[in-house]
Amino acid sequence: MINIKSVSKIFKTKKQNITAVDQVDLSINHGEIFGIIGYSGAGKSTLIRLLNGLEDVTEGDVIVSGDDISKMSKGDLRNKRQKVSMIFQHFNLLWSRTVAENISFPMEIAGVPKKERQARVDELIKLVGLEGRAHTYPSELSGGQKQRVGIARALSNKPEVLLCDEATSALDPETTDEVLDLLVDITKEMNLTIVLITHEMHVIRKICDRAAVMENGKVVEVGSVIELFQNPQSSVTKRFVKDDISDDDHQLAIEELKASFPTSTIVKLNFVGTRAKSPIVSEVIRNYDLDVNILSGNIKQTNQESFGHLYIALDIDNETLESISNEFKKHDVTLEVEAG
Amino acid sequence: MNSVIEEFKNMFSFENVKWDAVIEATYETIYMTVIATIAAFIIGLIFGIILFLSNKSENVPSKPLYGTTSFIVNLFRAIPFIILIILLMPFTKAIMGTVMGSNGALPALIIGAAPFYARLVEIGLKEIDKGVIESAESMGANTWTIIWKVLIPESLPALISGITVTSIMLVGSTAIAGVIGAGGLGNLAYMVGFTRNQPDVTLVATVVILIIVFVIQILGDFFSKRVDKR
Repeated sequence: MINIKSVSKIFKTKKQNITAVDQVDLSINHGEIFGIIGYSGAGKSTLIRLLNGLEDVTEGDVIVSGDDISKMSKGDLRNKRQKVSMIFQHFNLLWSRTVAENISFPMEIAGVPKKERQARVDELIKLVGLEGRAHTYPSELSGGQKQRVGIARALSNKPEVLLCDEATSALDPETTDEVLDLLVDITKEMNLTIVLITHEMHVIRKICDRAAVMENGKVVEVGSVIELFQNPQSSVTKRFVKDDISDDDHQLAIEELKASFPTSTIVKLNFVGTRAKSPIVSEVIRNYDLDVNILSGNIKQTNQESFGHLYIALDIDNETLESISNEFKKHDVTLEVEAG
Repeated sequence: MNSVIEEFKNMFSFENVKWDAVIEATYETIYMTVIATIAAFIIGLIFGIILFLSNKSENVPSKPLYGTTSFIVNLFRAIPFIILIILLMPFTKAIMGTVMGSNGALPALIIGAAPFYARLVEIGLKEIDKGVIESAESMGANTWTIIWKVLIPESLPALISGITVTSIMLVGSTAIAGVIGAGGLGNLAYMVGFTRNQPDVTLVATVVILIIVFVIQILGDFFSKRVDKR
């Protein structure tokens, strides 16, 4: 669907040349949600702008559904952009236009007749859940609503690819989740391919199928989201994963917990890409007839698996501990004794 | 002391005021202001947009265009208006057929005001969020569409308040032009009020000019606010 072949982008200034994107190779499949994560300055914003020709490549080829973006004429590129649309961190709506007029804008550019535009606008307003707000101006909307308008606008010409430039970074966590859910829904419904860039690992975890990690203009790691979480290779990826499933704050409390449960063993269960949908913990507890105090937990879901950990206190002897440890291992859950 | 009181009495007597002449002069001032404002709006908008579009640093071929436009704009803004009128007389004679009367003043008024408005347009356009322009580009908009559907509507409040300022400046310019024979309220104040020593005529001309300026300002503020949906 999208092929990025040894692409570089160098910004030439009077003082120096800045390599924003450095020999990047990526291929993105049709129908997937592909994430690009990196800290600010990693080159991800530049990379995504190469995909619709907002920036020209200095070197290499960018092929989007068969067309080489870097070699297209200006006119062809403008037509192509109607099928490769984009949403932005700061929404970039026209304040001078109402919600309906904003959504209609790309269709005006594409020369869609007025009647068709109106029908499509009504359809899209329903799709993004903004019924009754068609004639309000963007200044009267919340951030989440503005991004919904941005999404509706991006979808108006029925694109094949949707580029998301930090689309949720200006939103609060709850609104972020709503917008992400909307993106997942429309990908399925409209047979879209989504490329999104972000600096938030939970965005990747929540909706992406595969992701690339960028640092200093280079892609340092590519893989399925599961692989990245299970077995991060580069130090940047490790940092992102660790930040997302942070357990620093739990470490401190162990000593205090031990004081509260003097007779118990405190155990940490690690869920690392656990696929099973069965209630593992409760099965084990029932089988061994154990009493369990749940102390603390932090379990995150990707779109397929669970990651995280659970601290529990058990009254247990060493022998039973060993056998439940083996039991958990069968389900890809590792057990560590924290205090006993 | 008595002479001062005498002067004031003269000023407020209104005995010399010929109201027909005031009405005609008012009409001429409004005529010159309206025509020059419309022309300055169109020319200034075009030049302002050229300045804005050619000033993108990455666009190398547009640099000479920016340089040239910017130079012309600065040149005409730098010439004092009274000198500009005299300087343009041969040009005015050639295109208007006369250097006298309201029409004779128009070329100088327009050429004096358009560069000023062009700068105000450029400033207004620079205020537009870069992201909004980028988003229109990402939808496949060409430059023409961006001008009509993004640049002008998104800077409209600034364009309106800019033309308000320009128009008020033009009222002042018509008065200067009046002194050297363009007609209008400036002409009335000078030719009648000053040379014939009839201060009441000068006072009336001043009050009418003030009313015109206030009306322009009120209209400008009203429309500028009206179109602003931010």
